[in-house]
Amino acid sequence: METISRRKFIQLSSLAGTYLVVGFGTDASGSKLIARSTTDISKIELNQFISIGTDGSIILLNHRPEMGQGTFQSIPMILAEELEVRMDQISIQQSEANAKLFGNQMVVGSRSIQTEFEKLRKMGAAAREMLKQAAANRWKISISECTATNGTVVNKSGTVLTYGNLVVEAGTLSPPENPPLKSSKEFKILGKSSARMDIPLKTNGAAIFGIDVIVPGMLYASVERSPLFLGKVKSFNKEEVLKVPGVKHVLQTERQVYGHTREGVAVLADNYWNALQGRKVLKVDWDNQKLAEVSNKTILADSYEAAKTDGDELFGKGDVKKVFTSSTNIIEATYETPYQAHVPMEPMNAIVSIGEKEAEFWGSTQNPNGIRSYISKKYNLPEDAVKINYTFMGGGFGRRSMTDVAEEAADLSKKSGVPVKVMWTREDDQTQGPFRACSLNVCRAVLDKGMVIALEHKVIAQEIQNQTGSDMKAGRQLMGGINTDFLIPNLSVKGVLRKRHVPISYWRAVYHSTNPFAHECFIDELAIKAGKDPLQFRLEMLDHPRYRSVLQRVAEKTNWNAPKKKGVGRGVAAVERSGAYFAMVVEVKQEGKGIVPFKITTVIDLGICINPDTVRAQTEGSIVMALGAVYAGLTVKGGAIVEQNFNTYPLLKINQCPEIETHILDSEAPPDGAGEAGLPTVAPALANAIFDLTGKRIRKLPIDMNSIV
Amino acid sequence: MAKLSLRVNGQVKEIDVDPKMPLLWSLRDFMGLTGTKFGCGIAQCGACTVHLDGNPVRSCVLPSSVAVGKEITTIEGLSKNNDHPVQLAWIAEQVPQCGYCQSGQIMSAVALLKKYPNPTDTEIDTAMSSVLCRCGTYPRIRKAIKKASKM
Repeated sequence: METISRRKFIQLSSLAGTYLVVGFGTDASGSKLIARSTTDISKIELNQFISIGTDGSIILLNHRPEMGQGTFQSIPMILAEELEVRMDQISIQQSEANAKLFGNQMVVGSRSIQTEFEKLRKMGAAAREMLKQAAANRWKISISECTATNGTVVNKSGTVLTYGNLVVEAGTLSPPENPPLKSSKEFKILGKSSARMDIPLKTNGAAIFGIDVIVPGMLYASVERSPLFLGKVKSFNKEEVLKVPGVKHVLQTERQVYGHTREGVAVLADNYWNALQGRKVLKVDWDNQKLAEVSNKTILADSYEAAKTDGDELFGKGDVKKVFTSSTNIIEATYETPYQAHVPMEPMNAIVSIGEKEAEFWGSTQNPNGIRSYISKKYNLPEDAVKINYTFMGGGFGRRSMTDVAEEAADLSKKSGVPVKVMWTREDDQTQGPFRACSLNVCRAVLDKGMVIALEHKVIAQEIQNQTGSDMKAGRQLMGGINTDFLIPNLSVKGVLRKRHVPISYWRAVYHSTNPFAHECFIDELAIKAGKDPLQFRLEMLDHPRYRSVLQRVAEKTNWNAPKKKGVGRGVAAVERSGAYFAMVVEVKQEGKGIVPFKITTVIDLGICINPDTVRAQTEGSIVMALGAVYAGLTVKGGAIVEQNFNTYPLLKINQCPEIETHILDSEAPPDGAGEAGLPTVAPALANAIFDLTGKRIRKLPIDMNSIV
Repeated sequence: MAKLSLRVNGQVKEIDVDPKMPLLWSLRDFMGLTGTKFGCGIAQCGACTVHLDGNPVRSCVLPSSVAVGKEITTIEGLSKNNDHPVQLAWIAEQVPQCGYCQSGQIMSAVALLKKYPNPTDTEIDTAMSSVLCRCGTYPRIRKAIKKASKM
């Protein structure tokens, strides 16, 4: 992709004049202006997101990395809406990584639209107002007599000036600090499906992912790491590996994983195949301490032991303990979930070149600013001397929010003196993690006259931001996805923090990918105990309008209240994630010896919807990923992960994919996140459907669908 | 090391490589054809699918020497203008998300449609079940294959 030159902050010579280039900074006040100047008059930046050429070409910058979530289209849509240009008038370019210009560019937690919506609207609107003002000045009329539309400004007598014609003058104006924003009723682009401009690049091999980048003079590195994660290198057979054709270096290296230093031995060669051949010969003697004693069995035993402790209260209302003490009928159920790997289809990789005075990164990352500041700090270089070239990502799912792979590449570049491309194998990716945390959930409740009067949900798990040291206090992150909006008078959520050598990290929907399996299954169990319909039971306990509307709509769309179909089991679940409210009904039937979900109906309320087709795609994707995690999980044995590749840790396949129907509720509320919302409900709604069909409760993931009946 | 002459997308290319090196790396690292992707290295995910004399093969496990004398087609050679019916259908149905597996999906779909010009749902699911997509584009892949079959 051609990029606009952004480093020409030079004094201008005569004829071009000085063009003030302005934009909104991202300080606390939210509207600080940054002034810069540029010599480029063929394309003039009205702010850091918007450049217009004197030929009328319009370039909108997307400042968020694209991993499939579709903000490559949605972000320019927001800019274009306020700028008053059509999507077929623009081209999209990826911005550089620069937190000063663009704010935090990290793509996590389905936040890109939520956090950037207002800022992007202001950017578009400010540029529009500058163009209108330029026209008003030309016509010597008031700006209020000018209207912007389709990349032009029109006055009351019908005279038209194009943006290309106006941009030179507009570029000399100061941007308005509070440009008027359109009401959602005036939207022409937002809320209508817009074909993604990155998609044609992804049908002919043209899209460049990190793994595709070749930098002249680079070496390829494959790194052997302790399968037991924390093993320390005692020795390795360097001389033997150096004899392998093409191998140039054998170097010890390391990276940080949430406070742990993780060691490895890298084989650097002139091509990747040769690096792999060298790695086959490499033998590392590891000091693995006593980690080999850890297995699924010991982890589970530890969790059940820990569950006996009180833990830390993360949310509380009423007095659960008092109700439990006086009750003779406490209903209790425990739910188990396994570790999961992210397995983006593009294996982890990074290229870094560390020079004396500058450094450069090429690769697919969710966190370009993080890599920039890591390299800057570690190698004592100013941030301006660190260039980050971020590409399309072949999936991220949270794994690419870490900087660890770039750390390895930087370390190896520093040690070898050349640019280094580190490429993980699929086996590396799957066995090294970090993983989605496994968990034990203990749920207890008391019913009275068909209503839940007390409920305690205890989560026993590792916590991402607290994996080392002696602090054992559970943090609020552990309670993700537990619905505290239920009108239960005595409600308590507790966390019991565990620390383990198996590393964990953010995985799509994070704790919302595990806790709701327990929570929404337990609510289902309570409904059945209370003799009530599970969907009605939820509605009786919810006055939250958005929860109610998604549940009511999914009931309508699935004819929930009609008589049950023979041979079909139905399950419901509703979870809020990243501000979006999401209800799901899964329908299952028996097929041969197994049970299959054949239809999934979803309703999402995510506030203002930018690109409906992208929301549907994200919902489908979340469901496919969640179903995969219902059918497969990782096993710890001998301190290491057993499943090495797709043959033992299968992803969901097309023939296992049910029909998916997605309904998006109309809303004028500010937009929420759609990238993960569809994931949390899948496991509970499916397990509840299995119960509806078979009468069997599933309280443990993964589920072997062929051994239920 | 050996000099291999490979015919890729209608052009003959000479490379000097370990003849056992999988075709995937010859394409990606020695010919700059990076549209074909590395996903698993054990023929389990299909991201590396290319055509050998018109038949889909997993280039991540196929020794480069085996491809000598055969016509290799990669995603880059499927059409000049991104306008093969399968590519057009893929764009129309907005199939890709991250896009990484899609070269393999498209090459597999082209092979399927050659065998079954009007595939049933089962034929689609069976043929495509060996190509993995972590983003979950499966519902759209099904629609796009149906659409392409009518083009």
